[in-house]
Amino acid sequence: MIEKKEKKGVGNLRDEIQKGKGVDIGTMFVKCAQKESEEIVFRTQRNAFFEVEHTDFTKKILDNSKVKYIIKEDKLYVVGDEALEFANMFNKETRRPLSRGVISPIEKEALPMVELLIKSVVGEPTYNREIVYFSVPGEPVDADFNIVYHIKMIEGFLKTLGYTPKPINEGHAIILSELAEEDFTGIGLSFGGGMVNVCLSFMSVPIFMFSVTKAGDWVDQQVAMAVDETASRVSAIKESSFDLSKEKDLNKIESALSIYYNHLIEYVIENIKQEFDKTRRMPRVVKPITIVLSGGSSLPQGFSHRFKQILNQLKLPVPVGEVRMASQPLRSVAKGALVAASADESRK
Amino acid sequence: MLSGTEADIINCVARLKETTKGQIRRQVGFSLDYIGFLCRYLVRKGYLRFVKGHYSLSKEGIKSLLSQEEPKIDRELLKEIAGGVAKEISDELKKTVKSIKIPVKNIKEKKEIGRQEPVKIKTDFEFPVEDESLILESNINKIGTNLEKEKSNIEKSVKLFKKIQNGRKKK
Repeated sequence: MIEKKEKKGVGNLRDEIQKGKGVDIGTMFVKCAQKESEEIVFRTQRNAFFEVEHTDFTKKILDNSKVKYIIKEDKLYVVGDEALEFANMFNKETRRPLSRGVISPIEKEALPMVELLIKSVVGEPTYNREIVYFSVPGEPVDADFNIVYHIKMIEGFLKTLGYTPKPINEGHAIILSELAEEDFTGIGLSFGGGMVNVCLSFMSVPIFMFSVTKAGDWVDQQVAMAVDETASRVSAIKESSFDLSKEKDLNKIESALSIYYNHLIEYVIENIKQEFDKTRRMPRVVKPITIVLSGGSSLPQGFSHRFKQILNQLKLPVPVGEVRMASQPLRSVAKGALVAASADESRK
Repeated sequence: MLSGTEADIINCVARLKETTKGQIRRQVGFSLDYIGFLCRYLVRKGYLRFVKGHYSLSKEGIKSLLSQEEPKIDRELLKEIAGGVAKEISDELKKTVKSIKIPVKNIKEKKEIGRQEPVKIKTDFEFPVEDESLILESNINKIGTNLEKEKSNIEKSVKLFKKIQNGRKKK
């Protein structure tokens, strides 16, 4: 593979592209991280699609406007960020190949769609059987499904592409990306679209990992129902201008978003407390633990402040030190997976 | 001073005589990785020995635990072990009982009531996943993906992660 590129005169890619890739397979985005020279390159696709009328004219318009699409049989789907724009334009909802963190069981186009999106970000392996770590959610504590099928399908597909795939828990990946200074000890929280993933790690060893199925999409849906809007429109507002630190002059949607964000944060913290209760005995941690917040649903301004406020009221059964946002909340899962892949590759 | 979980592991090994990481995990809880991490720590500290995949109490461990004021350790159990051995061997050996390996085979395992461990699936079903996306027509590759770059700062994390993992393997 790499040899082919060299023959084509791309240059000595073997020296520039370093072995190992990390992929974040989230409900909202698929993102691949790869190290090239002194930089980390992230390739991203939004995990959403929207069906439009399939005519040659539409296809031509989309091609000319550089709007991504997928055609399956007689259906034409707009894919990516534009799917959200189209949905808002038609006052409808986007469709998702992933739901609540796993391949959607109710979406019949899910598997080929996910495969195409993954393939477009990971590309071909740089070397045969290159190691790729892909993110997986923790077992949900509030839903009656497990993640085995999802993991096996993604793993199998990456093998088909020529990789050596290895799963990594989403929360654990955040810890590898953000908590090196703390010897990988702390709590990593990923507020995604379909799930919130939590991992408590001690010296890089996960103590507990779990997920809850209330997350960004849940907030959008609750707000949409409360104010009679579409979830896609709520999501667009949430992503573009919503500010959780704003307390006055909130419109109806902002007020509802603020209420449901509060509910979501409290729900997550209460579940963490329950998980501590279940483990009964805590490992001996000398210093107060650091909490890192990450994921697309943690992006609104004021999120970490709101989280700290609620945490101060609810309190965890361990001393908490710093609560901080990840350096790049949308990239930390892929970056953490890349840390694991690079470590594995360099041991070969 | 041992933590609660470390003491639980010592007590568990004392009850089971020779035991695997998996058996300890079933008794004590937590993930296999974490139990392995603590066991290796206890081996390093001299409380346990690790031979052919099995953990057992080391003679130094018993000696040290009986001489310490370690509240979380089941001292009665350790004394029982020491007492049983003492009856079998001579008075002379009794004086050095703290420095010999003490058999624990007659100690019955204390069953924890009300805790049922989930069944762990050990087999795997590997199957080829076809690339179903080949049937799709798309302009995604033509347009490309959203590309972002940042200066790499993961070297330190990779190094540290490797170091911790290598440390665990060596132990």
